[in-house]
Amino acid sequence: MSDHLLQIDQLCVHIGDQPVIENLSLDLKRGETLVLAGESGSGKSLTALSVARLLPAAAQIRAGRITLGDTALFNLAEREMTKVRGARIGYIFQEPQLALNPVMTVGDQIGEVLGCHLKLRGKARQQRVIEALAAVGIPDPERRAGEYPHQFSGGMKQRVMIAIALAGEPELLIADEPTTALDVTVQAQVLALLKAEQQRRGMGMLFITHDLGVAWQVADHLAVMQAGRVVENAPRDRFYAAPEHPYSRTLFAALPKLEPQAHTAPVVHDQPLLEVRNLAVHFPIRQGLFKRTVASVKAVNGVSFTLQAGETLAIVGESGSGKTTMGRGILRLLDLTDGQVLHRGDDLRQLSSEALRIRRRELQMIFQDPFAAMNPRMLVNEILQEGMLAQGIGGSAAQRDARVRELLVQVGLKAEHGLRYPHEFSGGQRQRLCIARALAVEPRMVVCDEPTSALDVSVQAQILELLEELQQRLGIAYLFITHNLGVVARIAHRVAVMHQGVIVEQGPVNQVLFAPRHPYTQALLAAVPRIDA
Amino acid sequence: MPTPLLLLSDLAAWLLFLVTLAYACTASRREHLRAPWRRVRQQPVAMVAAVVLLAHVGITLLDSLHFAPQAANGTEAEPEPLSALDFVLTPLRTGVETSYSAPFALLGFDRESVLQADGRVVREYPRLRYGGAHLRDPAQRGPDILQRGAIGAGAGALAGWFLLRLLWPAQCRLWRQRKDDPAGRAAALTLLLLCVLAGLGGALATRYHVFGTDKVGMDVLYQSVKSVRTGVLIGTLTTLVTLPLALVLGVAAGYYRGRIDDLVQYGYTTLASIPGVLLVAASALLLDGVMTRHEDDFSSLIVRADLRLLALCVILGITSWTGLCRLLRAEALKLRESDFVRAAEALGVRGPRILWRHLLPNVMHIVIIATVLDFSGLVLAEAALTYINIGVDPGMESWGNMINAARMELARQPAVWWSLSAAMLWMFVLVLAANLFADAVREAFDPRTREATPSARPAGT
Repeated sequence: MSDHLLQIDQLCVHIGDQPVIENLSLDLKRGETLVLAGESGSGKSLTALSVARLLPAAAQIRAGRITLGDTALFNLAEREMTKVRGARIGYIFQEPQLALNPVMTVGDQIGEVLGCHLKLRGKARQQRVIEALAAVGIPDPERRAGEYPHQFSGGMKQRVMIAIALAGEPELLIADEPTTALDVTVQAQVLALLKAEQQRRGMGMLFITHDLGVAWQVADHLAVMQAGRVVENAPRDRFYAAPEHPYSRTLFAALPKLEPQAHTAPVVHDQPLLEVRNLAVHFPIRQGLFKRTVASVKAVNGVSFTLQAGETLAIVGESGSGKTTMGRGILRLLDLTDGQVLHRGDDLRQLSSEALRIRRRELQMIFQDPFAAMNPRMLVNEILQEGMLAQGIGGSAAQRDARVRELLVQVGLKAEHGLRYPHEFSGGQRQRLCIARALAVEPRMVVCDEPTSALDVSVQAQILELLEELQQRLGIAYLFITHNLGVVARIAHRVAVMHQGVIVEQGPVNQVLFAPRHPYTQALLAAVPRIDA
Repeated sequence: MPTPLLLLSDLAAWLLFLVTLAYACTASRREHLRAPWRRVRQQPVAMVAAVVLLAHVGITLLDSLHFAPQAANGTEAEPEPLSALDFVLTPLRTGVETSYSAPFALLGFDRESVLQADGRVVREYPRLRYGGAHLRDPAQRGPDILQRGAIGAGAGALAGWFLLRLLWPAQCRLWRQRKDDPAGRAAALTLLLLCVLAGLGGALATRYHVFGTDKVGMDVLYQSVKSVRTGVLIGTLTTLVTLPLALVLGVAAGYYRGRIDDLVQYGYTTLASIPGVLLVAASALLLDGVMTRHEDDFSSLIVRADLRLLALCVILGITSWTGLCRLLRAEALKLRESDFVRAAEALGVRGPRILWRHLLPNVMHIVIIATVLDFSGLVLAEAALTYINIGVDPGMESWGNMINAARMELARQPAVWWSLSAAMLWMFVLVLAANLFADAVREAFDPRTREATPSARPAGT
């Protein structure tokens, strides 16, 4: 038996007539981890899917060989291939929410694999299910095996997925962005688990990620993909010490680093632009025939802070910490339960609906997913003019047109892009359009809700640069909601850390990130995957 | 001079046609609307169905141009208004026999007392007044039908070819090279086939009763063709009543929620729990009462029938908007949480404008799917309702009336099968075409069935 576990040789995959993977060759030894890194659309996932022969119908393998051990996978009939999947190749998907069947108990889903590949039945199978759950660190596995996926948290679901992938005792584990949907603290646990299981069983692991920090944690070897090709393939330490290919170097350069940076502090005025006092948003839980309120979810529970003109305040927290709810509550996009939001001294909760509508001009928002944030049925021109029309500003139609052209140039697009639909733009370009839409009404403050988390790192760097430049030029204040501490270090003046609906720590960025006092902040910082090369 | 006459349903039919044309113009300029229609265009089955449907629309529109013919000299009674289609079908319309006759028959279906030349009265099957009256020798019927049929079909094919050249020159010119457009070719072939059928029908129907005659001697082919308008109008006008109700109430309920949502939901749940047939029956009786009390206002039969048709459309519309409304409310509930609606709210855009600019365009695919799917159901509903006498006016040609009139005659020995068969066959063709077309439309518009297409533009900012 050779020590080569997986060999991909000159693989070519086309979608329609477009090549999406070209002449890709990779080699994975037993007991090693190969990380495929690259930005979205580079063909990482398609490569992994080709190995399991699970490509979407539109994609076609045009040429190449893939051998697993001594088996040439492309020569197998589909029936034989089903015996390879699960038994010899385990597969972990990005989104555990979608990969688990919601109407089957977790135990049954693991048992299915055991039944198919190890022919286990009855008691023996149940025993193995419980062992498998215990092995991935799920407490009380006897009881949890009988529960359904919705009863598990995100991190626990991903552990279940790992248990399913490992149940057939595969030689090769393919993990496609297994931690991207998870919070950093959970990500650290899942990565440690994966690495430990891989070493204990001596499996080969093909690990796909876009995050070079995560890659450092798990990789033995690293292959960087760009536009369907492997541009650099090197052992981990050599790669991180001195990346050779220019594309690898741009990836490193674009990576927001968790390092102290010199920020020019904005001028502090007597009256802050925005002052939030004891803000609370509770969602009632209604039950019974008459929808009586029996309890409430305290999404935001007494939050206070101030924001100066031209300042960036980062709100940091994990999913479910209430940071997005707070951002929307401040803009009065949902009803507040308690507290005050003072904008230029006026409480937004006391304003009449018409006065609030006029005030909206000064308070804008940028959303996480630029694909969902624009009406697909409207032209860019119409999208950018909507705010001006609603606020009755911008003058005549010709003047508004001119303003749209000016805005497009301002955010780094072309003036003639106004006559296109949103779907004609890439993710980064769309986020630029969303920024332009917010700028169209000349706001004093913008709530940025994870504006870069759906984007690739190189695009993220460009968008952050654009936001900074606009702040310097126009003096806009940002309330920057994010979970990415690297981004915070890059852009924020001050930071507030949120945990379970309250702010646990706030202060200047260099103090909070590099001399954290609250234990939660410390845990958060410790979980960030770091490159210690 | 015949004076043009605009019935209410004519107005509605033409308006609907113009609205559809306007939609086509808008759609052709907007990529997100054009793309799904292009997918429909690429499916041969959908194109065949579309040509068949268009032929029916053509008949409907032709039948929706009414005029009052000049009163013949000396007669008191005002003549009934005629449509352009009636004018074209004059030989069929006026060739009325005394009673039943089978398809292509030369003799009547029942014995009659016939006065012979020598004064005797004989019970025999009489020669028909029009059907095959040109034949001296009954034995020549077979060859005559073949000859006329061949000439008619040939003429139809020739006319079809010229029509194709006129409407669609590309399809003719590239006939041999055009292997890459099977859908277009299928459509062209269907058009040709329809022309051949029309030629065949035209040549034979002037001399024979191709589908036979009914109890009062009316040509069944004529009735079937006239029924097309009734069917198509019920299928489309009802939607015209349904749409505004479902759209406005559904989207508003989903967007505003709270009180408005409660009201709309109670409204449609209540309506949906009353049997539709009861409502239709009640309103049909009500309308009858109104028309009897104001007899002077409804002078001519055709105006009465027209009003009943419209009333049926309205009442069918009122009973059938609930399903679509429910769908649209659900979609609006989903859309109101989307980021682009939130962004519009953050910009201070007012509620009604958000409904109009953000929600409506994004639910249109559901509307199109529902409209096309409902069409065939409504055509069938008309037949069913008319069969139990609460549908269209008994004097109006419709498939439901034809089936209703024919049901007793099926018990005769030998059976009178042709009325029923003609109505069923024609309805089958129309409904099948509508269903196939609806399937293709649903597949093209439904985002869930759309497969992921790689973005044409390379990523990067």
